[in-house]
Amino acid sequence: MTVDTNVEIRKGYDRVEVPAAGGGKRSLTRKQFETLPLRERVSYLIEGNAQFFLDGRPISASEAMRT
Amino acid sequence: MSVARKALEMTRAATEAIVQRAETRYEAHRQEILRSTDRIFAWLMIGQWIFAIAVALIFSPYGWQGKVKTVHMHVWVALFLGAAIISLPVALAWRRPGELLTRHVIAAGQMLSSALLIHLSGGRIETHFHVFGSLAFLAFYRDWPVLVTGTVVVATEHLIRGIVWPESVYGIPNPEWWRFLEHAFWVVFCVSILIPSCRRGVRDMRVMAERGAELEALSENQWRNSSVVDRAAADTRGDR
Repeated sequence: MTVDTNVEIRKGYDRVEVPAAGGGKRSLTRKQFETLPLRERVSYLIEGNAQFFLDGRPISASEAMRT
Repeated sequence: MSVARKALEMTRAATEAIVQRAETRYEAHRQEILRSTDRIFAWLMIGQWIFAIAVALIFSPYGWQGKVKTVHMHVWVALFLGAAIISLPVALAWRRPGELLTRHVIAAGQMLSSALLIHLSGGRIETHFHVFGSLAFLAFYRDWPVLVTGTVVVATEHLIRGIVWPESVYGIPNPEWWRFLEHAFWVVFCVSILIPSCRRGVRDMRVMAERGAELEALSENQWRNSSVVDRAAADTRGDR
């Protein structure tokens, strides 16, 4: 059995877009998202209306939550 | 009730449940750390007490008045004062583990145990290292006010004993009046590093609990999406 040593190190996400209060979207860095109240983060994730990005590329929430 | 409103209420209920579970997980983890540290200190204090008695028996077992041999005062001090110092902290650690009062009483008791060992060793400077080791152990609680209690107790004890009986704490009869400040400075130096470390430990526990909540929320979202797909499939079959 061979082991692939070139496995990409997962980075999670570096940016996220969430709904803005007055409609539209607001873009947050990972740090800004993580400092939102837990209740708010959880509701975005349940409703599935947070779009995560890594290096400008949209990624799924489950991929974003890996790290 | 409209479908949109029902969905909104379901989201709110699920959010509340997940946030509540995260809080419960965090508190359970914190309590586990507090309780296990209480137990560690209960055993540590009993061990220190036995050690203090051994120190007194080995280094000053007897006193002499002419040809009359008596058990040295240090042995009784180690036995009875040592027991008095540890009895309340040990009792609280067993009877009320995890409570705020318990860990503060333990912090005070641990510093007084240091004081007793310093006295029994005749104010040896090396025995003062016990204070710094104790502060590091107190940091296991990840509750920084406990370190403040320990600092205040050891500084006050050094001040009072330094005035009343300086040989007992510094090993010399006439130290400078400010000597306790020098000792207190090094204690504060140590604590100023331990406090941010404790705060970081608490923050890490919080992050772990919140991480679990985010994963739960994600799972809830996936479950809902799969339910929608299942319903759509059932509807399609029904249309046929």
